[in-house]
Amino acid sequence: MLCEECREKNAVVFLKLAVNNKVTELHLCPACAAKKGMGFGLETGAFNISDIVGNMSGYFKDFLPPEKKTLRCGTCGLKYSEFKDTGRLGCPECYAGFEAQLTELMSRIHGATQHSGRAYSAGPSLKLSKAETSRRLQELRASLKEAVAKEDFEGAARLRDALKRLEGGNG
Amino acid sequence: MAELIKSFRPYVTWANAHGAWPDMIFSTRVRFARNLEGFPFPNRAEPRQLAEIRRLALAAAKQTGLFSRGHYLKFEALGPLEKRFLVERHHVSHALAAAVLPAGAAVANDEDLSVMVNEEDHLRLQCLNSGFAIDEAFRAALKLDEALGRELPFAYGPKFGFLTACPTNAGTGMRVSCLAHLPALSRLGQMPQVLESLSHLGVTARGIYGEGTYVLGDFYQISNATCLGRGEEEFCQNIDRVIRNLIRQEIAARETLLKGPFKLKTEDAVFRALGLLRHARTLSYEEFMQNISLVRMGAAMGWNMGVDFSTFNQVTLLMQPAHIQAAAGRALDPAERDIFRAESLRKKLG
Repeated sequence: MLCEECREKNAVVFLKLAVNNKVTELHLCPACAAKKGMGFGLETGAFNISDIVGNMSGYFKDFLPPEKKTLRCGTCGLKYSEFKDTGRLGCPECYAGFEAQLTELMSRIHGATQHSGRAYSAGPSLKLSKAETSRRLQELRASLKEAVAKEDFEGAARLRDALKRLEGGNG
Repeated sequence: MAELIKSFRPYVTWANAHGAWPDMIFSTRVRFARNLEGFPFPNRAEPRQLAEIRRLALAAAKQTGLFSRGHYLKFEALGPLEKRFLVERHHVSHALAAAVLPAGAAVANDEDLSVMVNEEDHLRLQCLNSGFAIDEAFRAALKLDEALGRELPFAYGPKFGFLTACPTNAGTGMRVSCLAHLPALSRLGQMPQVLESLSHLGVTARGIYGEGTYVLGDFYQISNATCLGRGEEEFCQNIDRVIRNLIRQEIAARETLLKGPFKLKTEDAVFRALGLLRHARTLSYEEFMQNISLVRMGAAMGWNMGVDFSTFNQVTLLMQPAHIQAAAGRALDPAERDIFRAESLRKKLG
């Protein structure tokens, strides 16, 4: 049997994969197998899924509704377009930032848009390290300055409260 | 040889065949994906934030009391062989083993509970049980989840549930999976249809080490494809039904293999495989998996293979590349591994 990749040499590496609920078999010559990162044979047990079924993030590209280029998460700054490319969100707050778009995606992925498993309320706040606390304080102070400059007084009040909580909790 | 591997037990309790349907279901796993409020997900966090998350997560794991005399691991302190060993024990994923950022893990002394830190999500916590044991694995994983959730503020919202880096895991954040051994269905060429039918049932099949891994020795990891919109128990029940159905199909396929003209062919294949495993002088991991698959099936069909299912399960773990090197006490190249594997297997199978 000829190698399915180069169609020149004999295939000696036989691989079996289960991707998207289909059994795929690949028959490769040693050189092409090595190119696909399978140089160590089956011993590592892992393959790069995008080599075999193309880029999985196409899944998100197809399923996510188009949106204004400027849409981004207010907390971590992740652009919606980046999310569409990678399929990975940046922080828990992204779920609020992209709620409308995610609702559509969730109905396609899960066939549902509303969590109905166990409810959860967070335990006591974390004992953060000094470095993380000061990093967060710095961030909050910078955002506060920005909000005041933009005369966003509501935002400034919220940030001031957050600052107080952080200072109080770790003071 | 690495101290870490020596600190693990040579045998794994969850690989003993004390669960239900040990000849078809190797193990059952329930995992929860969880993230900490106030931190970016690992893919967007800075190394020092990841280090902070790991510090908090490992401290919380300790606080639960479920990891006493367990292992607390920082990945930058581990070598490739040690990481590979953890993958082979199914405690961490390939992705985590390959990570260069501050990643970590906590593994319980019994190796039934573990927590991966800073993989795709801040925490991936899991319970592994022997055989077909969805309910037990679910309860134990939930206990760990609740204990950690008291120590750490998890990112959660009433609409999307537990918030995860990839929206495919949001909601319950739960994945229930069974490692199913389906040699007869494979031999009869029925796996393509079986997998096709699974996709209509909200279920996914993957290779032996989970996402993005090969199918070896006819082992398939069967798990729920979705995790939002229903309760945890409902997702468990769905997988439970699917697995029971799969077991019935595999039993029927095994019966077919014992009928009429098939019988001699099956018996011949099984005993040839046993002969190969008992007498080979060099044996690759892939060849081992192909043949142990047939021998396992032969034992389930009632033929005397000389060893019990617990031994099959244990050797299936012990023949993996990092385990072989751990047993040898040094790093071996693939050809040396194959010789060592054949030798140690001959001793175990008598």
